[in-house]
Amino acid sequence: MAKMDRMIQIPEQIARLFEAKEARRHQLAALPYPEKVKAVVRLQEMAAPVFRRRGRVVHVWKIAK
Amino acid sequence: MKQTLQVLNQLEAEGVLGRYAIGGAMGATFFVEPLLTYDLDIFVLLPETASGLLSLEPLYTALRQRGYVEEAEFIHIEGVPVQFLPAYNALLEEALEQAVDVPYEEVTTRVLRAEHLFAICLQTGRSKDRDRVRLLADEAPLDHDYLQAILKKHHLLEQWQKWTV
Repeated sequence: MAKMDRMIQIPEQIARLFEAKEARRHQLAALPYPEKVKAVVRLQEMAAPVFRRRGRVVHVWKIAK
Repeated sequence: MKQTLQVLNQLEAEGVLGRYAIGGAMGATFFVEPLLTYDLDIFVLLPETASGLLSLEPLYTALRQRGYVEEAEFIHIEGVPVQFLPAYNALLEEALEQAVDVPYEEVTTRVLRAEHLFAICLQTGRSKDRDRVRLLADEAPLDHDYLQAILKKHHLLEQWQKWTV
């Protein structure tokens, strides 16, 4: 079977959702660096319990907010 | 983070470091969406010691004297685990020489150029480097002529072609 035949047509609503996610990523990429650093620390806070349950030692940065 | 960068700037001004720049995930984060990482990778050109060898020990000694504590491969500087990576090849030396000054709040710091981060990921070649290359290609304002020149100079064009198949 040709590869194209196996491709699934993405519904328009889902395609719009993907486009919105892509746009959000580009908005995040355009943030000032100090704002991105704050976002990284928020990601660290969210992910730390998962890493710690797996036995990995991680330190959330203690930076002035 | 501002205080961490101030310490790095002091070390550079005192000659403990030859030149430094942010690389790794936090370097990439300068150009793309925020990336989860728990360490700050700092690439450094080290001053040569009397023996002619390059060593991180004088840097670690200076940091210990300031009261900063080591843990595994990191040293905690003002609340941030920092990993120092000496420039160990021509690509990293060039990346450091051409790193750009950027403001961070009231401090000036230095970040590797996106094109060099891209090339370093290609050279390092781990799966997370592959992800980072994809993000840099999608989101960073790359100068494609400059990137091409770097990849050619450091023999990375073949690797790039492999990753784009």
